[in-house]
Amino acid sequence: MTQYFQDPALWGLIAGTPVAATAIIRGRKKIKELGREKVELKQHYANLEDHYAEAVEEAKDRAEESTKNTLKAAMRTLQGLASEQQLAISKLQETYGEQKILQDLLDIDHMNSQFARRAQSIAVLCDGWLGRRRNDASLYDVVRSAKGRIRHFTRVEIRSQSNFAIVNRAVEPVALVLAELLDNATSYSAPETIIEINIRPVPKGVCIIVDDAGVGMNEEEKARAGQLLSGGNSASVSSLGNPPQFGFTVIGVLAARYGFTVSVDSTSPYGGVRAVVLLPDELLTSLHESEEGPAVAASTPLPPENPPGPQAAAAPGPRHRAPGPPDFGGPEAGPPAVPETTAGGLPKRRRRGAISIVPTENESTPTPARDSARTASAMGAFQRGTQSGRRSTNASSEGHEVQ
Amino acid sequence: MTIDDEPELVHEAAELVRPYVITNGRDLVDDSRFSLLTLVTVAQEPPRTQPLDPEKQRVLELCAGGFLSIAEIAGHTGLPVGVVRILVSDLTEEGHLYARAPIPSAQLVDRQILEEVLNGLQARFG
Repeated sequence: MTQYFQDPALWGLIAGTPVAATAIIRGRKKIKELGREKVELKQHYANLEDHYAEAVEEAKDRAEESTKNTLKAAMRTLQGLASEQQLAISKLQETYGEQKILQDLLDIDHMNSQFARRAQSIAVLCDGWLGRRRNDASLYDVVRSAKGRIRHFTRVEIRSQSNFAIVNRAVEPVALVLAELLDNATSYSAPETIIEINIRPVPKGVCIIVDDAGVGMNEEEKARAGQLLSGGNSASVSSLGNPPQFGFTVIGVLAARYGFTVSVDSTSPYGGVRAVVLLPDELLTSLHESEEGPAVAASTPLPPENPPGPQAAAAPGPRHRAPGPPDFGGPEAGPPAVPETTAGGLPKRRRRGAISIVPTENESTPTPARDSARTASAMGAFQRGTQSGRRSTNASSEGHEVQ
Repeated sequence: MTIDDEPELVHEAAELVRPYVITNGRDLVDDSRFSLLTLVTVAQEPPRTQPLDPEKQRVLELCAGGFLSIAEIAGHTGLPVGVVRILVSDLTEEGHLYARAPIPSAQLVDRQILEEVLNGLQARFG
């Protein structure tokens, strides 16, 4: 064993062991440190990556926002111009109504309406406004207005009229939504086929049903359409594609904003798409005669040759809209006549004429014995005269809206 | 974003239903059939049809009181004359309206005849 003591290798080993141990321990420490650093770096990297995604998202949002604002402002100008032009065309149509040029004016009017619709749709995508109408409009007129905003409008047939009217703020949105639906329907069906519109009252409001005879949509398209129509994801201008397909997106935005629903997930009886717009009661109203204006609401054919007497007083005349004095016409005076309705259930409009403004002779014939009755009757006639006069001045300002 | 801050239309809005929709894109009617002065009135026995468009209904109501000219109907309805012609033409064909041609203005008599008469009278009494 002693020979080993003289071996320098042993001493070398003895001296080397702690050195090696220290080196190993140091190495381990180093590895640990490096490991920690690595974790930190990883975290840092992850952080950076997150922030990057956020930053990109933010930049995208900001770009989208400014695009929308710019487009919105531009569209507002276009919308204004289109409606100004529409007014000008209206005046021209009236001026040159009896000449051949009217045909061209009608065509230009049609093009202008389509142009206005495009501008409106883009405005909606950019969170812009459509402009609120001053008056409520009958549902039938709104549907016809929508029909006029697409290219092949003669293929659209409106099968039913209704008594319902749409409140003024919803007139343009509903018309635009219907126009986009009709545009889709005409684009995805053969040119000789008809698009049918039916109006059906339901417990929750009114349904406008648009049936086309096109090829329909597959499940995937239906799902995508349903998602767009729900208006859930906000409209983005950059994701519309080229050529842009924004019909369903526009509809979704408007439906969400005004609180009605649109669905396209059923099949029409003709094999194409059936689109259903459900308008809730909040957006509906009924057309009152007074709103229609006296120009169209004067009288049923008057009985001018009625024998004087109680029958005349009870006959439905123009005065049922002007509450006369209670003693007018004597005790036989019947209750105010209920506005008649046509076979289709529409309120019957009445003709205005000189006869309805000036009460007929027998109406104002007093009972000879009663002076007070004569006075009252004269007063009544005077009141009716001024009222119908006032109504006819309103008519000139409102008359256009009801046509 | 509430609905109530929706601005009103800046410009006075034109009619909601455009005339080309009322005529359903049809061509204008030749004005030789219905001149401005053609008189129409409601037929004695109107046919039973589906509910008419509001504009056609309006024309019928206007004519209910007696004969009315095309020009007057256009004035009352505010529609272009050409559009009224189409409506009236439709209504006449469907049997709702009865049209009467305007009374022709007096024909000018041949100048030669007048001269001959004058000469004859002068020869006789002059």
